[in-house]
Amino acid sequence: MAKTYDYLFKLLLIGDSGVGKTSILFRFSEDAFNISFISTIGIDFKIRTIDLDGKKVKLQIWDTAGQERFRTITTAYYRGSMGIMLVYDVTNEKSFENIKNWIRNIEENASADVEKMILGNKCDLDAKRQVSKERGEQLAIEYQIKFVETSAKDSLNVEYAFYTLARDIKAKMEKKQEASNPPGNRSGVHQLKDSDRQRKPTSWLSRCSLL
Amino acid sequence: MSSSSVEDIPEQCRDLFTQDGVLLKSCMGRPISDLNSIGMLCIVQNVDSSKCIEWRPNDLITIDSDTQDQEWAVVNTIGRRQRTLSGNMTSDYAAARARIIRIQLNELKTFKCSRNNQQMQFSTKPGVWHNTFYFQHGNAEIFVANLKNHVKTAKTRHDRNTYVVVEPNVESQELNRSFAELDIFTENTTDVVWNFVHNFKQRPYATTMEAFSKLNDIVYYGNEAVNGKRDVTEEVADLLTKSMSALEDATSVTRSDEYEVINVKPTLPPRPCIPRGTSLSTEKWEGLHDTEGRITEVEGVKQLIFRGGVANSIRHSVWKYLLDYHPWTMTHAEIKVLQKKRTEEYFSMKLQWRSMTEGQEARFSEYRDRKSLVEKDVNRTDRTHPFYAGDNNPNLVILQDILMTYVMYNFDLGYVQGMSDILAPLLLLLGNEVDSFWCFVGFMDKIASNFDMDQAGMKQQLLNLQQLLMFASPELARHLAAKDSANMYFCFRWLLVWFKREFSHKDIMRLWEVLWTGLPCANFHLLICVAILDSEKDVIMHKDCGFTEILKHVNDLSMCLDVDRILSTAEGIYHQIISAPHLTDQVCVILGIPTVGAKPEEPEEPEVPQAGPTNGNAVTYNPDMEEVTLEYNGLQISVVTQTVWALLA
Ligand SMILES: Nc1nc2c(ncn2[C@@H]2O[C@H](COP(=O)(O)OP(=O)(O)OP(=O)(O)O)[C@@H](O)[C@H]2O)c(=O)[nH]1
Ligand SMILES: [Mg+2]
Repeated sequence: MAKTYDYLFKLLLIGDSGVGKTSILFRFSEDAFNISFISTIGIDFKIRTIDLDGKKVKLQIWDTAGQERFRTITTAYYRGSMGIMLVYDVTNEKSFENIKNWIRNIEENASADVEKMILGNKCDLDAKRQVSKERGEQLAIEYQIKFVETSAKDSLNVEYAFYTLARDIKAKMEKKQEASNPPGNRSGVHQLKDSDRQRKPTSWLSRCSLL
Repeated sequence: MSSSSVEDIPEQCRDLFTQDGVLLKSCMGRPISDLNSIGMLCIVQNVDSSKCIEWRPNDLITIDSDTQDQEWAVVNTIGRRQRTLSGNMTSDYAAARARIIRIQLNELKTFKCSRNNQQMQFSTKPGVWHNTFYFQHGNAEIFVANLKNHVKTAKTRHDRNTYVVVEPNVESQELNRSFAELDIFTENTTDVVWNFVHNFKQRPYATTMEAFSKLNDIVYYGNEAVNGKRDVTEEVADLLTKSMSALEDATSVTRSDEYEVINVKPTLPPRPCIPRGTSLSTEKWEGLHDTEGRITEVEGVKQLIFRGGVANSIRHSVWKYLLDYHPWTMTHAEIKVLQKKRTEEYFSMKLQWRSMTEGQEARFSEYRDRKSLVEKDVNRTDRTHPFYAGDNNPNLVILQDILMTYVMYNFDLGYVQGMSDILAPLLLLLGNEVDSFWCFVGFMDKIASNFDMDQAGMKQQLLNLQQLLMFASPELARHLAAKDSANMYFCFRWLLVWFKREFSHKDIMRLWEVLWTGLPCANFHLLICVAILDSEKDVIMHKDCGFTEILKHVNDLSMCLDVDRILSTAEGIYHQIISAPHLTDQVCVILGIPTVGAKPEEPEEPEVPQAGPTNGNAVTYNPDMEEVTLEYNGLQISVVTQTVWALLA
């Protein structure tokens, strides 16, 4: 049985309700945009396998509900994430201010070395903009996190964002491996065991998925 | 003494009401061998037009290990002698007749319901309960409602479930007739046989359990319809034979000769398959109102709705009652007044937020936040449904207005995601802003704890669900625990919006109206979860199904579920749970039924030290006893040591 991927990365999308997390994920996984999306209740994830420098990287991207009171439940899924997308809505000042709270939330619930990235979504809506690109960049510098403005609607920078985050995780991982394994023995702790690779695509993955 | 045996059934007796699946649990002056058999509880009109309660045994369905061989013999007999019942059958028939119990209504003094309304006791002398019956399917509510048409009763002050007969009710013929429509279990006997043959192929064991008592009547009493029209053919006999082996399979564990302690696992009794009924029709619903518009038989109505839901044509009316907007006891005139008052109330609350100026809003961040949450969600609610589809859809404005007005109605709760999902089907059905608002208020009252700020209500429910699953499907519960999923978070969406995201609009209406009845127990929606999970057990317990796959699989069940099958399964699980000999207090508390550990409400009758096989109280713990007799699903199991109790606990 041929292996289906070399790496499996678990990513997480967080941010206020309505900033466009589900839309970004839908754009990335199905390359589509749906104006009549439904709000996320609970938690769900989507899968896309990308090619990164000759390696097949399977991204398992978790999408959570944005409203604060559901956080007690959703934070349970932070564990094990290797990368987090912090999303705000450029037409919504409050969602931008809340990024700080979300970062604090990550610090409390996710592993310390998790890769992060800030996304200012809905940049297609220039007329309604409340948060300038400069303020976004400023915040990113403050926290030393990468930043990009995106539009799930116009498919702007969504691919770029995920590829960037995945590449950063891969780089960090390989650096760690090199540190722990002298060159010549690169079995790699994060690389999957044979039994995992041999997994057949299971039936539920082929079913229709409603977010 | 009223509950005496009768040797003859008077020829001209008329059954006014019959309830199948009633177990005789105790009867003064009867040998223990007569107990625990299933029969039919009837209200019968005698030749002299006096009335009595009559219980007739259906020996075929007695699940007692001693009589099982006998049952086999009877089953085989049917094939050979289709119409001429003679020899042994006749003496069986006579024996069965001798076991009929009759209680004359003019001698009946008190009766009471207990054990979550599944048990009924009758007394003709103060302080002595002569008979105890256990309702295997459903509960005694419809029987009581019917009985109350024939006797005038008053509830005792100290116990709401005890009725004192004031005088026999003579002028109840009218009510009688209207109530006959409520008799959902009455079927044409010929149909019973053929339904049975048909259903058997799909669900052999359960079908047998359901249909046996009815079929039995035909065999014993020689139903004319059967003899005249269609034969009870070899096919039936064949099926019966097969079904009996199914019955045997299900109980074989406990029939082995050696009662090794190690083999006595706290297993649940077999799951009865309870068919769904037909929906409450327009005619029935109209017939249930008295001349002024009151609805008196509330429990009966709820039973009907629980069984079959509501016909779409009358949903807009019935839902207002189920959601506590219209009180059942109000007349049409009173409801008109109420509606006017509620309309005014609604619009005055609506005005409160409508008259807020921009400046006010700018300085009122809490209000602003709520408003923006509502706006975001309204735009994402059921937009694929024609009613809410398209740009500038006026129904979206109504959705928004109702939710904003609810923010003013209950500012502390405000708006929480999920509420738009709750409201959308109500507005879709009712079409009217005010009605939808008040029905929404009623629904929210039922599920308010889902939206607690700290999510305590949701966490409690997830915990309760886990505990129920551990009881009803322990292997699955253990598997989930092993896969890091014991917190049941993957059921969060199901519970938060009562499965709204899992079913089509048509199906969610059915599920909700059934759940709103509050029957057959508290937290029945958790048993819906158990039913779904149990039917997905094979996939979930597959070795490759880990934490993420479980979540994915559960999420992807959305729109792939069969509402009627799930309701039926959930009800079956309910009966399994409450009949389990190892029923725990924890489970009782979740389901709102009397706890096992609690003292029985009535003093135990000396004649029957261990009554009732299918009841939670069936098992009596006696630490001094070396040998314990367990009543399990009608089977007597003797176990030798106390360690069994540790296993059962
Ligand atoms: N114009 C525009 N609208 C967008 C964009 N992304 C999302 N939206 C819209 O914003 C609304 C919210 O998007 P969602 O993806 O559902 O938001 P979410 O962050 O998943 O929200 P929750 O599930 O409630 O946490 C939807 O109506 C989308 O159509 C975008 O890039 N441009
Ligand atoms: Mg979302």
